[in-house]
Amino acid sequence: MLELTGLSRRFGATVALDGMSFGVARGRVVGFLGPNGSGKTTAMRAVFGLVGLDGGEVSWDGRRVGADERRRFGYMPEERGLYPTMKVGEQLSYIARLHGMGAGEAAAAARQWSDRLGIADRFSDKVESLSLGNQQRAQLAAALVHRPDLLVLDEPFSGLDPVGIDTMSEVLREEAARGTAVLFSSHQLDLVEHVCQDVVIVDRGRRVVSGTVEELARGERPVLEVRVAGDPTGEWAGALGEAGEVVGNDQGTLRVLVAPGRSQQVLDVARRGGDVEMFAFTRRRLSEVFRQAVGQVPR
Amino acid sequence: MVARREIRESARSRSFAVTTLLLVLAVAVGVVLPAALAGSTRPLLVGVVGGRYPASAVLAQAGRLTGTPLTPVEEPDLARARSELDQDRVSLVFVPGKEVLLPRLPDPGATPSSAAVLARAIAQLDGERALLSNVPPQVAAALERGAALPVRGLRPQQRTTSLKARVTGFVTAVLIYALLLSYGMRLTNSAHEEKSSRVVEVLLATLRPSQLLLGKVLGTGLLFGGQLAAMVAVAFAAGLASGSAAVQGAAPAVIAVAAICLLVGYAFYCTTFAAAGAMVNRQADLFNVTLPIQIPLFVGYIVADAASFSSVGALGRVLAFLPPTAPVVDPALYAAGELPLWQFALSVALCVAGVVAVARLATVVYASSVLHTGPRLRLRSALGRGTR
Repeated sequence: MLELTGLSRRFGATVALDGMSFGVARGRVVGFLGPNGSGKTTAMRAVFGLVGLDGGEVSWDGRRVGADERRRFGYMPEERGLYPTMKVGEQLSYIARLHGMGAGEAAAAARQWSDRLGIADRFSDKVESLSLGNQQRAQLAAALVHRPDLLVLDEPFSGLDPVGIDTMSEVLREEAARGTAVLFSSHQLDLVEHVCQDVVIVDRGRRVVSGTVEELARGERPVLEVRVAGDPTGEWAGALGEAGEVVGNDQGTLRVLVAPGRSQQVLDVARRGGDVEMFAFTRRRLSEVFRQAVGQVPR
Repeated sequence: MVARREIRESARSRSFAVTTLLLVLAVAVGVVLPAALAGSTRPLLVGVVGGRYPASAVLAQAGRLTGTPLTPVEEPDLARARSELDQDRVSLVFVPGKEVLLPRLPDPGATPSSAAVLARAIAQLDGERALLSNVPPQVAAALERGAALPVRGLRPQQRTTSLKARVTGFVTAVLIYALLLSYGMRLTNSAHEEKSSRVVEVLLATLRPSQLLLGKVLGTGLLFGGQLAAMVAVAFAAGLASGSAAVQGAAPAVIAVAAICLLVGYAFYCTTFAAAGAMVNRQADLFNVTLPIQIPLFVGYIVADAASFSSVGALGRVLAFLPPTAPVVDPALYAAGELPLWQFALSVALCVAGVVAVARLATVVYASSVLHTGPRLRLRSALGRGTR
């Protein structure tokens, strides 16, 4: 299990990490969410020692992370990086060998991951000749080629087409099923909800919310979807008071975060507004959890 | 692993093949040129003064033994012979049974001229002949002090730089300067490519910066060593094929000194060039960041060129011991006979100390710069930072 404990880091006057703590268990896919500048990338880089820490510790299975542990980790940085003039297959083999694989094993793994990620036909091409999407796949292959115990991916879905997103999602789930701990950051909240089992939300260098997707969707307060005939803007909700809080409006269907034990009161208010066409409990969306956690729309 | 990748990727590049070809050609030209400049060997004129027996047999034997064509010129007396020698109308004067005269005795550290070699041979042979013709009591005494006649110079001994030494020194300076700059810039570009493509972030997730830097300079260094070996091989092959004196006498020692200087120079500059490449984000800044490294190399090159064609002053002698300039200056000074072997050894020792110090600083700069993005990092900031 990966554990980040009390990480802190300042860059001049800017606080990038302010005692951030969370864990990623083996076999779990963890979505790492937060507004821009909230410290996600700094925390991920800290796992690999790419940024010095002012305080805190990164550990793996209870041991402080060092060079030996990192050899068993896979990393996909936010700013993609491969040798532009090196061939895809050779590059994957090279990275696999840096992680401790033998020559034959590395070559076989490079071939296997190229097949799996749909870039087998570009195996002997230089990276610079690949489309951005295929470069992204090659980058993911570079993170996976040595079968890591921990996979850390910074914005892995950005720039991918729908097919690429499906492939990436499948691979992450497969790796987690194999026992790999997977941590990835993303601003695509629906995707995170779809792919992840756990979520960590950070803001201003600190963890603000974490839990399983189910726990977060359920939340402490239920969500009601309510539609009142002839009121597409949801004016009726103005009379809710402390009974509930409108967190969304989908073409007249309001999503109302209900105060504990006040759902009947919400129904009464809706009836006073007109004919109630819809009144049903529903899950909280991750985007709602996120907005509530960071107190704003994603930056 | 890192070194192997550097070698494979560099060796594949067209620029490497072209550079190797050009360097090998330059070496071949450098070796063959002195022979070509010497032109066809003309017979040496040897003034012969009197003698108790015909000198022609001694001269013929000496010419054959040294491979030097010669033409005897009869001189009426010693005074006339000395005058002819002083005016360079003859290359040496032979006084059978007495002595052999040269315009000037050769410098002990320099390669002797053909006339000097011939003079030694004549002196030796005629001395033996004189010894045998003398009566027994003298034989014993002569054997004790050696059979050779004395070889004396008309004018005081003076250090000279032959055309061959000058050309060797010049070619060596050009090659060392070009090679160090070429490989240095190769390292700068390689480090910068890894930084600008951000692949360094993936690499440093597994490696320490010092490991990456070491692998990079080691790989490039092995490539450099291979190219150097090819050049030395071509130098000797071309020298033997052309009969060039560049691979005879003291020249192999100059080549050995140059090879040592190249290795030491590479060790000194490799880490600094790589660290410079890691300091900038934009390719356009590469020239500016490497300029302070190129300046001492260029100064060394200028001094080495000067040493090849004239005697250098005190500044040149000081630069011969400073690690940034010594690798370029030393071979030229050595070839010109202005740097004794012990001074060269001292210079190498200082360079090795410099290599250690510079490598440490460069590693710190590299480690703190290679992951830095944004505005260019100043050297002071780079030295004061540390990511791990």
